[in-house]
Amino acid sequence: MRDDPSVVALVARAAGSDEGAWHEIVERYAPLVWSICARYQLSGADIEDVRQTVWLGLVEQLGNLREPAALPGWLATTTARECLRVLRASRKCEPFGGDPDDSAATAAVDPAMIEEEILLAERNAKLRAALADLPENDRRLIALLLSDPPLPYAQISGILGVSQGSIGPMRGRCLARLRRSPHLRGLTDADFTPGRVTTPGGKPRG
Amino acid sequence: MDNRSDDNLLTSLHEAFNSRETVPDEVLFAALREAIAAREDVPPDFVAAAKNSYAWHNIDAELAQLAYDSGQEPVAGLRSESASIRALSFVSACLSIEVEITGDTLLGQIIPAQPGTVEMHTLDGDTVAAPVDEAGCFAVEPKPVSPFRLRCHIATQPDVLTGWVTLLTRLHNPPRS
Repeated sequence: MRDDPSVVALVARAAGSDEGAWHEIVERYAPLVWSICARYQLSGADIEDVRQTVWLGLVEQLGNLREPAALPGWLATTTARECLRVLRASRKCEPFGGDPDDSAATAAVDPAMIEEEILLAERNAKLRAALADLPENDRRLIALLLSDPPLPYAQISGILGVSQGSIGPMRGRCLARLRRSPHLRGLTDADFTPGRVTTPGGKPRG
Repeated sequence: MDNRSDDNLLTSLHEAFNSRETVPDEVLFAALREAIAAREDVPPDFVAAAKNSYAWHNIDAELAQLAYDSGQEPVAGLRSESASIRALSFVSACLSIEVEITGDTLLGQIIPAQPGTVEMHTLDGDTVAAPVDEAGCFAVEPKPVSPFRLRCHIATQPDVLTGWVTLLTRLHNPPRS
């Protein structure tokens, strides 16, 4: 999963001059960068700072990444490091130097948090890619089935203009196609096990 | 069928029906919901700005690294984008660029001294050019508000490009001298 050949290919193309490949990299990994910023509860201006440093840094590193497959790791680590840097900078500028016990000011990047964010982001990217490859009817059905609060089959059948009895079999065929998607190859049970650690700010507790 | 072929059968069954085949529908739906939400959480301008960064790909110039930042402790490696700058020093293989902010002006000097031009590129896409005099000095006015980088053209060698610099005026208002 971590040696995703498609990432290697994307990095190689973006390191050439394929802007489309760069856009794909951004589409795929923006949620990873964003989610780590959210963990550190950064303000809007601080998020912008981190965003600039991370993506501009990656543009300059594209040709130098020794292992393109390690791109998600590079992104996650750089983002977390930059989050800590802007937090430290804003603490330093508070009157009276901010709270001396504030662990964010001295914390190091937590490797377990990084790992967890990467695995989740990779799984989510694969699921989105698999979904995007489905025929349009399948995607519509899945969107309806995912509605929150859930829509009754009667309503789904009304929207799709099919009989209520056919929704179940349609759903079965559609999920079977999704499960066969090559994008989902290599996902393991662990990828579907809930249990994200939700330590705010990545601060070590205890 | 003996135990061994049972084991083999189980192994191949397991391989054929790996977790994406066996994970219950509801778990798959929950994961799909999370995957879609994770993408929708990201503001469109965050994605757009990240995409625009590609404009800085393959710039044909030598990169100058930040060597000194008066607003910070000594800096290790490339770290341009930091707190309130008053004086910054960038070093490339062939020259160094000293920059400081005085009032509303960005003053700089190329060392060793040589004439040329300097361009200030902001992240917003603006470019301001200024001449570099015989003493290697240049002035850019007004000072940039968005992150910027400098590109120096001098006759004798390839262009030199600094890292990005952010003036964090929202945190600090450097004393005017």
